[in-house]
Amino acid sequence: MTRSRSVGAIAAILVALGLAAELQPAEAAEPKVLTQARAAPFTSLDPQAQFEQTAADLTLVLYDTLLAYSYLERPYKLEPGLLSRMPELSPDKLNYTLTLRKGVVFHDNPCFPGGKGRELTSDDVVYTLKRYADANVNHKSWFALEGSVAGLDDFHASTIKAGASPDYARIEIAGLKKIDRYTLTVRLTHENPLFLYGLAINSMAIVPVEAVQFHGARFDVNPVGTGPFTLQGPVERKGVLRLLKNPNYFGVYPAVGAPGDAERGLLKAAGKRLPIVDVVEMPLIEESQPESLKFLKGEIDWRAIDRANFTRMVVRNADGTTRLADEFAAKFDLYSTPGLDMNYLAFNLKDPLLGKNKKLRQALAHLVDTQAYIDVLLNGRGSKLNSIVPHELPGNERETGARARGHDVAAAKRLLAEAGYAEGKGLPPLAVSFPSTIAATHDRFAQMKAKFAEAGVQITPVFMDGPAFVKNVEGSNFQLAQYNWFADYPDPEDFFQLLYGKNAAPGPNLSSFVNPAYDQAYEASRYMANGPERLRYFKAMNAIIDEEVPAVVEFNSMRFGLTQKWMSNFKRNLLISELPYIDIDMARKKKGL
Amino acid sequence: MFGYITRRLLQAVPTVLGVALLTFLLFNAVGSDPVRSALGQHASPAAIAALRHQWGLDQPLPAQFLEFLRQIVTFDYGSSFVTGEDLGTQLKSGALVSLSVTAPPFFFGIAVNVAVALFVTRHRGGFADQATRALFVAGMSVSSLVYVLVFQYVFAFKLGWFPISGYAQGPAAIAFLALPWMILLLIGMGPDIRLYRTVFVDEAQADYVRTARAKGATETVVYGRHVLANAWMPIITNTVTTIPFLILGAFLMERFFSIPGIGNLTIDALSRGDLPILKAVTVLGAIALVVFNLLSDLLYAWADPRVRLR
Repeated sequence: MTRSRSVGAIAAILVALGLAAELQPAEAAEPKVLTQARAAPFTSLDPQAQFEQTAADLTLVLYDTLLAYSYLERPYKLEPGLLSRMPELSPDKLNYTLTLRKGVVFHDNPCFPGGKGRELTSDDVVYTLKRYADANVNHKSWFALEGSVAGLDDFHASTIKAGASPDYARIEIAGLKKIDRYTLTVRLTHENPLFLYGLAINSMAIVPVEAVQFHGARFDVNPVGTGPFTLQGPVERKGVLRLLKNPNYFGVYPAVGAPGDAERGLLKAAGKRLPIVDVVEMPLIEESQPESLKFLKGEIDWRAIDRANFTRMVVRNADGTTRLADEFAAKFDLYSTPGLDMNYLAFNLKDPLLGKNKKLRQALAHLVDTQAYIDVLLNGRGSKLNSIVPHELPGNERETGARARGHDVAAAKRLLAEAGYAEGKGLPPLAVSFPSTIAATHDRFAQMKAKFAEAGVQITPVFMDGPAFVKNVEGSNFQLAQYNWFADYPDPEDFFQLLYGKNAAPGPNLSSFVNPAYDQAYEASRYMANGPERLRYFKAMNAIIDEEVPAVVEFNSMRFGLTQKWMSNFKRNLLISELPYIDIDMARKKKGL
Repeated sequence: MFGYITRRLLQAVPTVLGVALLTFLLFNAVGSDPVRSALGQHASPAAIAALRHQWGLDQPLPAQFLEFLRQIVTFDYGSSFVTGEDLGTQLKSGALVSLSVTAPPFFFGIAVNVAVALFVTRHRGGFADQATRALFVAGMSVSSLVYVLVFQYVFAFKLGWFPISGYAQGPAAIAFLALPWMILLLIGMGPDIRLYRTVFVDEAQADYVRTARAKGATETVVYGRHVLANAWMPIITNTVTTIPFLILGAFLMERFFSIPGIGNLTIDALSRGDLPILKAVTVLGAIALVVFNLLSDLLYAWADPRVRLR
């Protein structure tokens, strides 16, 4: 063989090897494994039967909902999930037409003929809506569609009366109509754009009838969805759960993000098929120390940061922003995002002392020092609110320009005097109820007590566990109550309804605040699309809250966490699961770099 | 013997009934409302009523108590409020896991602790005795939680000798259990060795020991045969009455090492208001205590021929 022939042969072999490698990337590539700890065992993986965080974290990746939330965009925005486009509203604004994506298939499962997952159709949506409304299945999340769909409330009531699940196929719901294999219409009882949020909650994830019937009572541990991952069995509530990539998943990585996302490299994967990792391992670790140690050792890719580690690892800059201490910054990344919650101090307006004395309430509002509480006791893990709407929702204080009463002892003393209690004289000690008995709550009370004492106001604590607290406040058996509200859906309406007259206790309006002007503005804005007109109503309601002080709006929690350097495409999203979007650089992970 | 056992079992009935009544009142009448815990911020009156009905909590309290008694007698505790899982299966698998955590250090601990106690008794007043006494008093002053946190940090995280947490079925479990075993063994050493030492010292001063020595018995025979044989009663009491707690699990170990035993199950049930689990664990714990107390009495007769059971 001549030298040139030898070179040619070697080149041909190398090309062939290269081609072979090109043709078999899947076999050659090491599986990408993402590890994230679960903080508690899940209760049920039956979407309609659960409504709590640990179960939602899993159902959100095993199943799909008709609508979902954008991964990157903020404020949170609805987008099609299993639907091929956003629902179309009829001119009378009462009928939504829902069109499904074609070719979406359920995970392979023995419940299907031959064990092969079949295509999702509009029958599955109708079935799931009925199952969602079945009181024998769903105790927890019915509120999201209650009163919305024609005939669905009657069906819900009939299931309560029957005490057992009926044969859904035999019951027609007036407001649900299948048009064809991929299309159905939903008729509303009244104009209600909030209905769309109901289609995005994890309890409305679409389930196939075959799986419910085949697995029966064990459906809660045999999930059969269309989601980006499947669950490797046998499924145990305790121990390690392994999620495997669904190769047939329809989702792709978004091409649009919030300002700054592109600069942070969050759009590099735009258009990539989801999920990006092959396996997600989820060990159950209920205590903070082992989870923290595993994270530091590189055995976990991502974790929320607890108070003790926050103090040790995070540094606050002069401008109030936060960063990781230098010794940790080289190894990990810190993230933070505002929670979709609002912490507040409710005044019971049925209380003879507080209900009739607006000046007193205004004075007390000036004694609440939220910023000091955030700085000292929360270590900065909160963001003060000036309006009832959390920072990440439309209608927030940036948009409305709301300014709440701040901590101002002089103003408090002046108002107290006007209220008839100069220097707090003659004012009996006020009882403040707390929904917790832990040490942090005692600290919270101590801080409040000190601040109130600055104006001569005495307070006494009533510490209760959660259920006892709810029972007391719903029975208006309190004077002041510390509470928080988590968004059911990312719309400001969910927060303004907390002071709506018709929601007075035992409803979510714990203060029993009834104000015709407020109620009028709430009703006018309730189903309105976001825009300048709706903002005007929000501003009017903010002004009434500030003047009447049925409650003192305090703060929005801040969620902090750590990620390993080898993890990318991560942006904390409190409404959907981030798992399908995350990428892992296995070479770096193995080296611990 | 048979009459004695029957009488003791009959005497146990009011005890178990009392425990059942207290447990029932604690969880059903005084404690938090599990329905409200489960439903959270969207507890509509209709949903509350429906769930209360499903869980049988809308029945009058006497009817609920009778149902609880039926469950105790039949050992059928129904299913968890939260997960719907059969409690019998959960408790059985949880108890086996808990035993895998607690039993090895318990039995190994008996041998080690008795041996060390005998050794320091024989050398009482000497350096070994004084050093171990100081060491164990110091060790007993430290909270169990500190042992768990420090050992997990040092041996699992820093040195990497053990996994930080986790559990596996079969022989693979040993890797995960080794560190909890070590901690449990260490935690048990102080109180047990001090107790056994006190018992052995009392026995070592008895007349029969002096007689044995006068007859020329070696110290090994004196301690290994005479002292040990006569000191079994308190050892049996201490050992047998501990067994129910082995089944109920080591709460801290299971929690911090992510071991799915009864202890962990109970803590989860507490945080979720899962009444059936809490009631079952409480009552089964009480029954186990009664049974093992009886067993302890029976073993007295076996260990000491002078004891007559009447």
